[in-house]
Formats: sequence, C-alpha cells, structure tokens
Amino acid sequence: MGQILAELGSGFAVALHPLNLALVLFGCFAGTLIGALPGIGPINGVAILLPIAYSLRLPPESALILLAGIYYGAEYGGRISSILLNVPGDAGAVMTTLDGNPLAKRGEAGRALSLSACASFFGGTLSVVLLTVFGPPLADFAISFGPPEYVALMVFAFATLSSLVGRNPTKTLLGAIIGLMLATVGVDANTGVNRYTFGIPDLFSGIDFLVVVIGLFGIAELLHLVEAQARGHLALTAVGRSFVSWRDLMAVKWTLLRSSIIGFIIGVLPGTGASVASAVAYGTEKRVAGEDGRTFGTGNIRGLAAPEAANNASAGGSMVPMLTLGIPGSGTTAILLGALLLFNIQPGPLMFDQHPEIAWGLIASMYIGNVALLLINLPLVGLFARLLTLPQAYMIPLIAVLAFIGVYSVVGNPFDLYMMIGLGLLGWVLRKLDFSLAPVILGVVLGSLFEDNLRRALSISGGDWTILLESRESLILYAMAVLIVVVPVLLGRRRRTSRSEADPPA
Amino acid sequence: MADRIAALVILVVAGLYGLVAFTAIKAPFQYDPLGPESWPQILSIAAMLCALAVLARPDAEPDWGGGSTLGRLGLALAALVVYAIAFQPLGFLVSTFLFCAGLAWRGGAGAARALLFGLGIAVGGDLLCTRVLELNLPAGVLGL
Repeated sequence: MGQILAELGSGFAVALHPLNLALVLFGCFAGTLIGALPGIGPINGVAILLPIAYSLRLPPESALILLAGIYYGAEYGGRISSILLNVPGDAGAVMTTLDGNPLAKRGEAGRALSLSACASFFGGTLSVVLLTVFGPPLADFAISFGPPEYVALMVFAFATLSSLVGRNPTKTLLGAIIGLMLATVGVDANTGVNRYTFGIPDLFSGIDFLVVVIGLFGIAELLHLVEAQARGHLALTAVGRSFVSWRDLMAVKWTLLRSSIIGFIIGVLPGTGASVASAVAYGTEKRVAGEDGRTFGTGNIRGLAAPEAANNASAGGSMVPMLTLGIPGSGTTAILLGALLLFNIQPGPLMFDQHPEIAWGLIASMYIGNVALLLINLPLVGLFARLLTLPQAYMIPLIAVLAFIGVYSVVGNPFDLYMMIGLGLLGWVLRKLDFSLAPVILGVVLGSLFEDNLRRALSISGGDWTILLESRESLILYAMAVLIVVVPVLLGRRRRTSRSEADPPA
Repeated sequence: MADRIAALVILVVAGLYGLVAFTAIKAPFQYDPLGPESWPQILSIAAMLCALAVLARPDAEPDWGGGSTLGRLGLALAALVVYAIAFQPLGFLVSTFLFCAGLAWRGGAGAARALLFGLGIAVGGDLLCTRVLELNLPAGVLGL
C-alpha cells in the first residue's frame, strides 16, 4: 500500500506539471463540450481528436492525459443531451434519458443535471481509487503471462464481448472478426510476406489505425447525423433554476455506491464499457428499489443516478485491463491503446515498471480531472446546454473538416482520405444493421497481438496446439469465457419460461 | 432482407479472403509452425460460420428512411468524396471553403451565413493548424 501511495505521488508530480495540468483541464472541458453535442459520444470525440493530439508532438504521457481527459469529460457531457433533448450522446448515455428527460420535462432539469454531475463524480472518483488499488497487483500477476495465457485472455475478451455487447451476439462476434481481418492487411512482420495488399503500395504498411478509427467513428457518425437531420428536428428543454439538494444526495448514496461498483467491474471486463455498465446498473437498481422501482422511467432520481455513476465508473474500470494487460476494457480505451502504440509504447504488465510516468501520470490525472469536471459542470451547465442548439447544418461540415485534417496531417496521403470515407460508409451500414462498432475497433487493435501470441505459443511448442491448454491460468480464463457465454443464455431461457408460466398465452 | 444481403456479402468476401489465405499466401522461409497463412485461414472460417448464422436467423429489417433521407445521405457522401479529391490539388483553404459553405447551405443555413461559415472555418482552420499547431496541410493552388 505504501509503495502504491509513493508511486501515486510520483504520478501526481507528472500530472501537476503545468503542461499536463493544462491538458487535463482542456481535455475535460473539450470532452464535456463534445459529449454534450447530440450524437457525439466519448468514442467519436476521442477518435476525431486523436490524430490532432498525435501530430502536436506531445510526449506520450501528455497526449494520453489529454485523450483520457476528453474520454471522461465526454462521459460527463453525454448526460446533458440525454437529459435536455432526450437524445443520448452515445450508447452509454441511453439509460440516462429514461429518468433524466422526464425530470427535465417537469421543469427540474437543473436538479437532474446537477445530481447527475455529482453521480458522475462519485462513480468516476471511486473507480479511480479502485484502479489505484487493484491495478498494480493485477499487473504483477499478469507479468507471468506467456503467449498461451495471452491467447486465452483474448478468447476471454472476445467471449465477453459477444455475450454482453450489442443485441445480437453473432453480429458482435462477426464485427470483431471483421476488425481482426482488417488488421491482417499489410506486410506480415514475421516473414515479410504481403497479405491482402493487392500490389497497392499504400497498403503495404497496413490500414493505418487512425484511418480506421476516424472512418468508423468520425465519418460514420457524420452520416448518422445527416440521416437524423433529414428526419426532423429536436426539441430542447430549458435548464431552469432548480438545483440538487443535500437530501437528494443522501437519498441516492447507496445507489451511487452499488452502481459505481457494478460499473467498475463491468468496465474491467475486456471489451464491455459504459453502455453495458449503465444498463446493468439501472436494471439492478430497479430491482433493488422494490416498490419504489415502479416510478423508474418517470423521473426517479435513483434511476438517474444509477446509470450516470455506472458509466463514469466504467471509464475508470476499463483503464485497468488497458494499463495492466494491454487489452482495452472498452471501445474508447481501444482507441487510447492504439494511441499508445502510435508512440511505440506497448501497454501491458511491464508498463508500470518501464513507463511509470505514463501509467501513474494518467491515474493521477484522472483524480484531478474528476474534480475539475465537477467544478466545471456544476456552474457551467447552462453554457454547455446552449451548445445543443448549434445547428446540425454547421456541425456536420465541422466534423468532416476535423476528420480530414486529422487523417491528412498525420500521414499526408490522399489515398487515406478515400479509405476513411469507404470505412465510414461501411461503419454506417454496419450500424444500420445493428452491429456495434466497438467490437470492430477492438478487433483491429487486438488483431496483431492475438495473432503474434498464437504464433509465438505454437513456435514454443513446435506446432503442438495443446500448449494453449497447459497452464492453470489459461484454463481458468477459458472456463470464465465459457461461463460468460453460457450464463446469460441460461438466465434468458429461465426468465422466458418463468414468464410464460406466469401469464399463459390467451 | 438487409441482414441476409449483408450476410451474403460478408460470406463472399470472407470466402475470397479465405481463398487467398489457402492458396496465395506463402512464406519462402518460415520460422514458425503457423506461418503468415494460418491466422487468416482461421479468421475466414470463423467469419463464414458467423455469416451463415446471420443468414439463417436475420434480425428485423432496419428503418432505412424514405428516398429523401437516402438522397441526403448520398449527397453528403458525394460531397465528402469531392472534398477528398479536391483536398490536395486545390489546397485546404479553397476546398474547405467550398465544402463547408456548400454543405451548410444544403443543410438549411442561409446562403450568406453558409458563405461566412465556410470562410471562417477555412481561414480559421488554416491559421490554427498551419501557424499555431504546425500541422501538415496541403497548400494547393494558393501555395504557388
């Protein structure tokens, strides 16, 4: 414990460096702005701004601090459009609309916004504390992982992904495989053989990660906005003067604690982020609330606090596997992980030893960021709310310009612009067909890691596949993977049969 | 229906992807037992199995919106492609001005406002990116 505190202290030394402090504050502010824009969530915001952060030639820890600030800033900001417009900024904020918007319609928008800011702060801060406590031991444990254990870890990651993310598990898995396939384009690093480059020199070094991210999350989002715009306009509710009271906070204190812990745990699971966390927390809270649960969905403050605490807690939780295992805990951390790879830093168990300034600097900056976000969000919420009235006619070209600048300034190759638009169209179609895009990006990020570890494992064993099942750690991971796939299916079946028994078909 | 078409497309693409993996990818000197071809082979089979599963049990048809929605989308997509084509030869300033003004105007902003918006983003973006942030943007026709 003492050592953790000492390391955290050195992290604060990094995070309090004037440049980094300014970046945290700027990132949180910009993130809240981005999150508040309807339709643009953390993953789009981080994706669109990643190349710009990269080309600023910041040191890696500063760039990561900036991007992480945008990440949890956007998690805070997402609630604003959910509450005032009934339009979630992204999938993670869907649950916030259920009780947040009815409160706003009742004229208590100010109360809803300030209460959810407090819930976000609580969830965010608790999860950073848990990250500080549990991150380093997990990294120590993971240092003993060899290639076979990493293969098992990947299988576990994709199992949780397909079981918990999205409505259709097959489609989620297919999305992840599409990502893995995209990652195979380019020269194979082990043998120098070209794969799927079709003789196009632009493809030899593979499809640039930035291009994939901006295409799938920037351009696809833009097309989505065009579609939403063509379908009609949005009605904005006024913020009003109501404010959160101490009694409200006391009424939701156990809700906050429960939901934050749920959010953190779900965030830690590889691949599952805010959307799953907020949905599970809301469902749990509704069940725990018993009689009070009937008013959920009509403006119950517990129903508002639960998903907000959970989705911010999941942001901290999803940093755990990224920093300790090198496996992203959510779609957005997949992008952060890709950002580290751009700086030639391989995230993983050794990061706490080899790059403590990054790991601990990031953790310390999250403490600062959460406090800053609470301070920014309570008084300035009216300002952010005004952003919602920014007409889409201006927002759509603006996103495109940011995407073009991002892709062009890093690689300087017009070919990437076409690729980005193509991937954007692909992303829009996939989204339309109810595929979630986070698995695709996870596949792209994890593709080479998965393949390399599989090949390394089989090199060690001389081609004997049983090496994958030899260690205890891998077997435990496979068992967990099977459980996480099977349990929801069984639960769903039991619920369905008990429901059909309860009310027989007429 | 849309699901079935998508699943068929994925099936065909994954099949071609697998065909390349099983026939064309070969390393002249190979140090590991798997080589560069095994991983794509595994992926192609997994993708085809998933696509078959979607083909067998497709979801409900998504709401594609009317013809006017799709028309707007097509227009936005065309604008993006034209912007990409013009980006390097015309340069950031000119292409961004045309793109932003055009799209904002089509999106329902008044003509004067759209022109002003395009000018602001082009000049402001250029100053911010090339002077302050020192990013690499194409100068194009104005860079002579």
